Amino acid sequence: MAVGPPINRGIMAAQNKSTAKRPKIAALVTEYRRYSHGQNIVDRLLGGYGWESGWHHPQLDIVSLYVDQFPESDLSRERVERHPDLKMCSTIAEALTLGGDELAVDGVLLIAEHGDYPVNEKGQMLYPRYEFFQQTVEVFRNSGRSVPVFCDKHLSWNWDCAREMFDISRELNFPFMAGSSLPVSRRIPSVDLPWQAEVEEMLVIGVGNIDSYCIHSIEALQSLAERRRGGETGVVSVKGLRGDSVWRALDDGAWDPALFEACLCRSLNLKPADESNRHTYPEREDLPGLLDRDPVAYQIEYADGLRATMLLMPGLVKEMTVAARIKDRADPFSLLFYLGAGHEMQPNFFNPLCHHIEQMMLTRQPPYPIERTLLTTGLTAAGVESLWQDEKKLVTPHLDIQYQVDEASTFRRT
Amino acid sequence: MAERKRKKIALITTVWGWRNHANHMGERFLNGYPCDGKWHRPEMDIVGVYVDQSPVEGEDLSLRRAKKHGFTIYPSIAEAVCLGGSELAVDAVLLIAEHGEYPDNEKGQKLYPRYEFFTEITEVFRASGRSVPIFNDKHLSYSFDKAQKMVAAAEQLQFPLLAGSSLPVTFRLPPLELPLECEIEDALMIGVGGSDAMDYHALEAMQCMLERRRGGETGIAAVQLIDGDEVWRAGEDGRWSRRLLEGALARSDSRSGIALTDGRPQDLAHDGTLQELVENPSAYFIEYNDGTRATLLLLSGAVSDWTFAAQVGGEVFSTQFLLPPQPNVTYSACLMAKAEEMFASGVAPYPVQRTLLVCGMLERCLESRVGGHVRLATPELDVCYRAPETSQFCGALQ
Repeated sequence: MAVGPPINRGIMAAQNKSTAKRPKIAALVTEYRRYSHGQNIVDRLLGGYGWESGWHHPQLDIVSLYVDQFPESDLSRERVERHPDLKMCSTIAEALTLGGDELAVDGVLLIAEHGDYPVNEKGQMLYPRYEFFQQTVEVFRNSGRSVPVFCDKHLSWNWDCAREMFDISRELNFPFMAGSSLPVSRRIPSVDLPWQAEVEEMLVIGVGNIDSYCIHSIEALQSLAERRRGGETGVVSVKGLRGDSVWRALDDGAWDPALFEACLCRSLNLKPADESNRHTYPEREDLPGLLDRDPVAYQIEYADGLRATMLLMPGLVKEMTVAARIKDRADPFSLLFYLGAGHEMQPNFFNPLCHHIEQMMLTRQPPYPIERTLLTTGLTAAGVESLWQDEKKLVTPHLDIQYQVDEASTFRRT
Repeated sequence: MAERKRKKIALITTVWGWRNHANHMGERFLNGYPCDGKWHRPEMDIVGVYVDQSPVEGEDLSLRRAKKHGFTIYPSIAEAVCLGGSELAVDAVLLIAEHGEYPDNEKGQKLYPRYEFFTEITEVFRASGRSVPIFNDKHLSYSFDKAQKMVAAAEQLQFPLLAGSSLPVTFRLPPLELPLECEIEDALMIGVGGSDAMDYHALEAMQCMLERRRGGETGIAAVQLIDGDEVWRAGEDGRWSRRLLEGALARSDSRSGIALTDGRPQDLAHDGTLQELVENPSAYFIEYNDGTRATLLLLSGAVSDWTFAAQVGGEVFSTQFLLPPQPNVTYSACLMAKAEEMFASGVAPYPVQRTLLVCGMLERCLESRVGGHVRLATPELDVCYRAPETSQFCGALQ
């Protein structure tokens, strides 16, 4: 069948072993309400989800739950009643030790997205990923052993915290997986950047606000960029633009117009300039009026010379699309990261993320390098910082991060 | 190099209003459309238009579009395809007869005048002594007899005829194509909506998968349509496969039941809630001449998307036929790309016999319902054809 091979042979092998031990997992969640990341991920791992041609029952057990905040719409108490083997814990340490003296689980989910936390002057919500992580590794240290950790989305809003988290994972030598669901979501078309392609320029267009959403766009971009010839070489500078600066950059040809057109033409939700004439391509002068808020751009220079741009254009489109100029290829390579068609739908882009989480817990092998998320965390923080410093171009020697990925694709192809 | 001559197109339509097919489909030839990461502009122009009705509500967009794009609206179909002259004067005809106010028959079918429009067009072909390609949006006719006559006329006058729904050519999640000549042991399509509008789309989506089976299409021996609780009983009796229900629903991204109330993904194939969510299910049973069986379930209330599963060599394969939302409804661009391909090349990319067979399948199913949900033998549906070797849907992996 023309849908590519199954991507999770590790899981299938594990499922075939009926005697295989089911890992016990602790889930640390900021907030567990309908459609929060905590609910989406933990519910899929507790009760299963549609996968390939059937209902998939994960081969692991969520045994403990720490929840940081309980809004009126909280569902965690209902879940604990529904799943008698799921223990609600009042501290992170308790969730990891199951009330004993030392680490008693085989893996940790750190899902610190959503909830009511302070916002700093740069517009970043201060989700306690670093704090949850520190409390986790404290138990690891005290117990003299470590288990795999999944950290949802970026590592932290703060670069230094992220770097420390990465370093600790190396020091304690545990499998560490993180990142957005975008890199593993379905794509239209269902393709990957050609392995070892000579990529000259890339553009990603996304939606939402800085920090909480630009990480998705940047990580989607990076999951393709890292496949280029020579692998990832790190980033030397980042410059943020906002509002009119973005439109001036567009007019100055700061990015390849063919890449811009390719991104818009991959969207399934391109806003028409004229509501009575919807099936039209927007003209340049129409663009500013089609956005819900000011556009944002991050201009990224990689160490090997690759130039990439992230644009946030919420309103003009509703999803994330990417395009790449590949050497000796006439037309841009482009695709849509498919999260749903825009109407009331289940956020099943969490399904492939959950599948990779399960695979890591079963095999202790992260599906892709944590360096990807370390780099995208740094890129996001640098972009936010550049905007905060009035669009100053920031040199980024700290983003001298090199890594290589395999040829095998990890997005949801089947 | 001399500029290639741009082809002239006549658009013959029932009504051109907000969000109807003339708007979604026809306007792709006026404005271009997104295609493979580019805004594609067809090298052809709509020059002559016939519109049968004004919309009951809202603006008649044909007038505004004529002003902007410079085409002429003619008072008759013959004049539109002759551009006001005495003989055929266009290179292709786009026939869009979906939407508008037309009577219903006792089977619940809206009597859109596709056959009548088509006949007026082919009369001009005969009088002019030449023919050009016709694309007919959706089914050929509510009547299998009329649809047969349309296909026969195209054969007699030797012009390429392409028709059908956008579902067979829209994006699939994942981009599943069953291999040609595979052994299909059982198949199930799940769709939404009512009869003789949405069921047509679902049946044609199912057929574009089934026609790839070993030996090609052999025609249909019998059909039956059942409604209500009988559908669940038929499932218990094994008349449709619960395993394939699971396979198809695994591809659904619909939100209903507990997914709406508290966000949990729900295993609709096994959790017992399907019967509560679907107030009025329908099952369309199709028995092919070669013994293959396929079923369409309409499950409005539980799902809002279009999914398919087949058992091939003991293994289940499944996909979702994606219908992207407003405002872009890009499935219509996928279909118009096929019409454009035929207009440019003079070759229909897939056989019109698919559409002919599905017209008959649907009409006989509706007769089964009217006749008390009986099984109807359909010897007249012996439509045989071969599926195209190359995948025809958007985003297919070649």
